[in-house]
Amino acid sequence: MAASRFLFGPLTTLGAAEESDSGDHTGTVDEWVPTTCWIGKQDCGMLAHRIDGRVVKLEGHPSHPRNMGTLCPKGVGQITALYDPNRVMTPLIRTNGKGVKGEFRAAGWDEALSLVAEKMNAAREDDPRKLIWQKGRSKAKSFYDKAFVNASGATKLHHGAYCSDAGYRACEYTVGPHGVLHPDFRNTDYVLAWGWNITAGGGNKTCWLTWNQQLIEARARGVKVVVVDPRVRAAGAYADKWLPIKPGTDLALALALCNLVIGQDTLDRDYLRKYSNAGYLVQEDGKFLRIDDVEQVWDETTGGPMPHDADGVTPALEGEFTVGDQTVRPGFQVFKEHVAGYTAEWAAETCGLNADDIREVAADLGSKASIGSIRSFDGVDVPHRPVSIMTYHVSQQELGFQQVRAQVMLMMLLGAMGASGGTMVDWTWKVHKNYAGLDDIEITDTPNIYLNKSKFYPINSNNSSIVAQVMNDPEAFGVDYVPEVAILHMVNPLSSFLSEEDLVEAYKKFKFVAVIDPWISRTADMFADVILPAATLEKYEGPPSGTDQYTDAVALRVPIQEPLGQSRGDIQIYLDLCEAAGILFGEGGYLDEVNKALKLSDEYALPLDRKPTEREIFDNWSKDQGIDEGVSFFEREGVLVKGPVSATKRYGYAMDEPFGGAIHRLYGESLQGYQEEMKKLGVSENYWKHYTALPTWQKPIMDTSPAEYDLYLVSYKMIEFKQGRATQSPLLAELAPKQRLDINPETARARGLEDGDAVLVESQNAVTGFTRQLKTVVHITSSIRPDTVAMPHHYGEIARSPVTEGQGPTPNVLFFTGEGYTANTGDQSFHVKVRVEKA
Amino acid sequence: MTRLGMVIDLEKCVGCRACMVACKVENNTPESAFWMYVFRLEDGEYPESRVSFLPRPCQHCDNAPCVKVCPVGARYTRDHGIVVTDWDRCIGCRYCEVACPYGVNYFNYKKPKELQYLNWENPDVEVHSQGEVPPYKNPVLAGKFGPEQRKVAGGGHTKGVMEKCTFCVHRVDSGLDPACVVNCPVGALIFGDLEDPESPASRAIADKPAYRLLEERDTRPKVRYIGAPVSSTAREIERPKVRN
Repeated sequence: MAASRFLFGPLTTLGAAEESDSGDHTGTVDEWVPTTCWIGKQDCGMLAHRIDGRVVKLEGHPSHPRNMGTLCPKGVGQITALYDPNRVMTPLIRTNGKGVKGEFRAAGWDEALSLVAEKMNAAREDDPRKLIWQKGRSKAKSFYDKAFVNASGATKLHHGAYCSDAGYRACEYTVGPHGVLHPDFRNTDYVLAWGWNITAGGGNKTCWLTWNQQLIEARARGVKVVVVDPRVRAAGAYADKWLPIKPGTDLALALALCNLVIGQDTLDRDYLRKYSNAGYLVQEDGKFLRIDDVEQVWDETTGGPMPHDADGVTPALEGEFTVGDQTVRPGFQVFKEHVAGYTAEWAAETCGLNADDIREVAADLGSKASIGSIRSFDGVDVPHRPVSIMTYHVSQQELGFQQVRAQVMLMMLLGAMGASGGTMVDWTWKVHKNYAGLDDIEITDTPNIYLNKSKFYPINSNNSSIVAQVMNDPEAFGVDYVPEVAILHMVNPLSSFLSEEDLVEAYKKFKFVAVIDPWISRTADMFADVILPAATLEKYEGPPSGTDQYTDAVALRVPIQEPLGQSRGDIQIYLDLCEAAGILFGEGGYLDEVNKALKLSDEYALPLDRKPTEREIFDNWSKDQGIDEGVSFFEREGVLVKGPVSATKRYGYAMDEPFGGAIHRLYGESLQGYQEEMKKLGVSENYWKHYTALPTWQKPIMDTSPAEYDLYLVSYKMIEFKQGRATQSPLLAELAPKQRLDINPETARARGLEDGDAVLVESQNAVTGFTRQLKTVVHITSSIRPDTVAMPHHYGEIARSPVTEGQGPTPNVLFFTGEGYTANTGDQSFHVKVRVEKA
Repeated sequence: MTRLGMVIDLEKCVGCRACMVACKVENNTPESAFWMYVFRLEDGEYPESRVSFLPRPCQHCDNAPCVKVCPVGARYTRDHGIVVTDWDRCIGCRYCEVACPYGVNYFNYKKPKELQYLNWENPDVEVHSQGEVPPYKNPVLAGKFGPEQRKVAGGGHTKGVMEKCTFCVHRVDSGLDPACVVNCPVGALIFGDLEDPESPASRAIADKPAYRLLEERDTRPKVRYIGAPVSSTAREIERPKVRN
């Protein structure tokens, strides 16, 4: 300072004096507090840098397996989710009518909680089905999805149908574990990045960072990456080859690849015989041949039918046999004949690709699968099939369930499911209860509000847009009630879910809506009667897993300061709400349900007659985990790294009982059974036509929209906002300020459009004829098919904040729910035909 | 003698821009000032289009044109070759901005408090937050650094001065790597002494061809790039919020 004054005189115009800090910062308290990321999905470990109690920065936790000292842009930027002046600071009670921008008065916690408890209990006493609990991303399933839902008896609604649940259902049904598909990156040689938004957001199970770290290590070993996607933008520099597939045709490509793999005879017959139902004999009516209720195979040794589980049996995979008066074929033979017409040329025509490229993928899969090879992990021999698929949100389309089934079946033909270097589903090869459950559904004629086990969606992923349609016309779906009270926990259906006009009508029907959220979301603004302000990073929450599939870890979200304003941690809110509602204590109360959900042993179970603090609960849980010092371990360390995941847990083949004893369903007998029952019960063809024993190509219904709707619209996630309430963050909105429509230069030229031009996008529902519109601006990019336009899933002025104003609409307003736009599992499609014109 | 430099591995960069946010939070820079900037680029026509990414911090040139034109010695090369700005001495003439071929200089046109990612002086903030949101505070950035005892760290200090990447001088002086480097999820940014063959930066380019941006300008940057050079026909896509 002195030198500049001496040379040039006082520089008052620069206002330098205002900032005259001596730089002497002795006496400040400089601390690092470990915690867990709140804004994203994958719960990375973080360190909060605090100066005099004020957090100045969030950094990655160096020991956390998922992020190893680094953070994504959301992780760093979420300091603005902590210190956002637009957060709700006190409980709010609505003072104006609903369906319009809300007016609220500040209230005390006691008043707000009593009001919510009273309304909640009134609904429960009248008819428990009238209480809805709806969530966005749940950060502590034990406390929210399980304990609160069980203690209150509410019907749970969630977001999976907008995420990847068609894929979850396909994997649970076909092979057992709960997830979609990801590679065993450390050992794979070939990745089909199938709709995988590689550099811009996520993949199966984690939201972003971990997969990129593992992909880059794999690249250093020379792994080949083939991108199957209408857009190549997100593949970044990682596309060795791009197959720019036409939206909605993924099933066609998967079926053709199955056909080619069978044709080139690169089959893992040993796997198919032992661990799948490929050898089960199928009658002409499509049912398995059963003798004494046991499925039969054709034993090659004895030349006759044998129970599939008989000792020493060698099931034939091919051929046609006669048993009694039945002509039967093994499931594999049926599949082989089924896919014979799905040639490379046919798929090329259907998917808008080159036949040679498709053949090259099949040839690569066949040669790289190295069928018969073994890799040893700490003395455990595991079949080594280093070919893999990463697939995730792409499952959300009309044919999504069967598409993912066909992708799994492609990997099954190669023996690559659960193999070293192969394709994984969950972090470990745990068989989910849906493996049995989805095979044995009793269709009900009195379905609940999301039509669970109904004739419309026997397999059902719980889609809130369907709920809205049912609420608006319950009789049409055979539902005899309408829910009256909703508790919305960190969920913003009007922006995040689809079919806004249906949702608005439905939310008007709720007599009372309570919202637990740090912000006034758009949904809360229009429909909340009460808002209970939740903390963001200032709370105990979890326990989140920290595994990256190779190292196991568990962590906790630990408060990095006192809750801002009068906000409270979500777990505290449930403790308080359950107390106010009289469902905290005693058997079946919230505390009892927490004990069960956290699986606390008798020694550390919470007493059922005393209200604990959040910290006490996690202290008991920590001790129950064998951490003697309790929760202070996490307060100091943030994460407990447990060590390597053993091969016997990771690889289905290597489990004590291979694949957990689940026989993989190449042939989906029960799916055909559901179709027959649905037809009998009388639903339209659009509901039952995708319930087929084998994935069957059927032209997407959106393709029957009039010719003027000449473009496909798909949406995608951006790394700046993916899986987080984030567009209201100034730091993140600065990186990606506005909504846009990605369009190929050729397509733009044909419409006289230039970069930045305002356009009108209109979608059309091929079944109902309805149209929907939005306005946005053009972003010209050559990394997209000319017949496809794309928009980020985000934006839509998600919360009351000056930052979100003018960001533009979410494309969710353009998509439809219902016949043709919902998978047979009730999962939402993010595909629709649109027309685009200059606004 | 130590020459601190950065190696940027374009074969690893995924263009996520986490480094841009890490830089902003670490250095508290004003809105639309990106001391670390990641270009998202696209080249070629469908279906041959290719996407690539190019992180661009200050190049910390050995032959820095910005240092030569600074009339008051505010822009100077300090220990270990880091090019910094004494924000207390800068008179805001913007000669450095004109001289720099890399576009790394960001001028504080407005009073930074109105530009920072939250406006701590806006009375609405006080009203909305009921005084609960504590203003940003990091006295380290306001301090004096090195034997020369000059104010060279952090951003957003005052209106009318030029600011740019300091290689996180306040961290480097404490033996830490710059914020962008530490945060990079995929290890695409590597920092160290280019004169020390054992430093991570030297090792990263020991057996790979590395190049510098605009070599023909003879600015001799201490930032080296690994991977395919950006094509002259590449187009920028997905620009962040830029200044009006």
